[in-house]
Amino acid sequence: MSRPSAFSLRGRVALAAIHDPRDLSAVRRQFERLGIEIEIWQPGVPCHRRPDVALLDDDYLPLAASAQLNLPTGCPVIALLGTETPSRLKLVLELDPASFLVKPLRSAGLYAALILAFERAARSAELAEQMARLEDRLRSRRIVLAAILQVMQERTIEEPAAFAIIRRAAMEQRKTIEQVCAEMITGRTARAAHSV
Amino acid sequence: MTKPTIPIGVVCSLSGPYQDMGREILNGATLAIDEINESSDFDFSLAAHVRDPRGIISEYHRVCDEIVRDTGARHIVGCYTSASRKQVLPIVERTERLLWYPARYEGFECSDNVMYVGASPNHNVLPLVRHVLDNISRDIFCVGSNYVWTWETNRVTRELVTGAQGTIIAERLLELGESSVGHIVDEIVRRKPPIVFNTLVGSSSYDFIRAFHQATSAAGLSIPMLSCSLCEPELKIVGTAAAGCITSSAYFESVRLPENVAFVGRWKARYGEASSPSVDGQSTYNAVYLLARALHRAGTSDIAEARRAAAGYLYNSPQGPIWIDGRNNHCALTPRLAVSNPDGQFDVFWEADAPVRPDPYLTQLDVSAAAVSPAALAPRSNQSHLRVVK
Repeated sequence: MSRPSAFSLRGRVALAAIHDPRDLSAVRRQFERLGIEIEIWQPGVPCHRRPDVALLDDDYLPLAASAQLNLPTGCPVIALLGTETPSRLKLVLELDPASFLVKPLRSAGLYAALILAFERAARSAELAEQMARLEDRLRSRRIVLAAILQVMQERTIEEPAAFAIIRRAAMEQRKTIEQVCAEMITGRTARAAHSV
Repeated sequence: MTKPTIPIGVVCSLSGPYQDMGREILNGATLAIDEINESSDFDFSLAAHVRDPRGIISEYHRVCDEIVRDTGARHIVGCYTSASRKQVLPIVERTERLLWYPARYEGFECSDNVMYVGASPNHNVLPLVRHVLDNISRDIFCVGSNYVWTWETNRVTRELVTGAQGTIIAERLLELGESSVGHIVDEIVRRKPPIVFNTLVGSSSYDFIRAFHQATSAAGLSIPMLSCSLCEPELKIVGTAAAGCITSSAYFESVRLPENVAFVGRWKARYGEASSPSVDGQSTYNAVYLLARALHRAGTSDIAEARRAAAGYLYNSPQGPIWIDGRNNHCALTPRLAVSNPDGQFDVFWEADAPVRPDPYLTQLDVSAAAVSPAALAPRSNQSHLRVVK
């Protein structure tokens, strides 16, 4: 099976909310070179495709609601700036842009802005996942503590030895420590853990 | 009747670390301009305004600015390194000029004010690395000049090698013009890599090839070397030490085409029997012809018209049919692989069946292991049955 380069953007779909026809023309030309499909957004017209990235012209700001764009969760936004005044930047910041370009647009810079946006989106998604995992683990600390105490009492051993037994059980069963602890507390895998 | 004259700029460094390539660019441009001026096929003459930035990067900006201000030229042919092209780029974009850039480069650029006549990365790096992975080794030792051409070539090489479950054994970089190559050659002799990929340019490359040849011969080692830039004039500069280098290029003097036989004859008649056109000289010759044909077709030197006229307009050049792809302003070329011989020439052992469309952003690059021969792939490790829990 073929695998494109990590730096190839071929096959991606971009939503382009671009006001000036010359800017749009520059984006079209460069996207064709990069193998990116373009979906033109217009105010009030629903977009039927699920974009991987959105280019949003600051001429369209403020949007009555960013929901107007109907972007999928995690879709990075590249802001197209016509001015660097704080009042305009404030509106742009509300979109949480992953990257930006200064108008008038030209071919140079688009590829870099796209790569940065995709990378930023990937890292943000990874961070969000990591945070969710850590929150889960934080919540399950009580369960882990209870399971360690259970093993300590049953086998009359110290805490490090009890944890080592649980860790070993988790590795052998290819589960997380939290999963094994939860099952031990409910009594389902206590025997397996004890037999290590 | 006297033909009207169209001024064009020619930018090439005739001194500095890559002066020999600068001379090639000037020779290629001059030969083409004189032929065009003498030909009845063109109803105009080209007047070359040659500027020499002497290999100094900041000078490229100055001489280009001078051409734009003083000569009225709308078209400029030349530049060699990417760093030099980047110096010229803001001027040609701001003043609506067109740069006809003859050198191969690393890609990932597409200005409306540049015609990229040299090879794109899919023309030279990809066929070379795929050949190595299929036929020689999955492990490569890289040595190159510390600039964008090497960085990007190594990046692509690493992606392909990693996809084939191979390794980049080392990546050693030298500053442009640096001649202290001994420590790298010592490391190569000590580590005995199966192959060395040389992306050094100019004098650094010549020093490295000589030292590499001497040290590996003394140690009784036979380590093949790869290059995407070595050319015939350089083989003559380096001498027999440069023999045996596997080189990827769209042009070699030994290409067996009637157009090339005639071209080499004209080149030698002008620059001496001992001279050899390089890919850079030949590509500059093509650039001038592509420009002149576009001007003739457009009937004006306006750059937008010339750009439109050049797009898709096939030219039977000495290296075979070529044309500018109007979607990205890069040239469609025929990739070739060859081995350098002790006579200062290349023996071509592979060429593509037809010209290959340029892919400057490598959008079609397939880095999967299946893209190389399955025989070259073997499983390397057994997966542990344990899941490591932290």
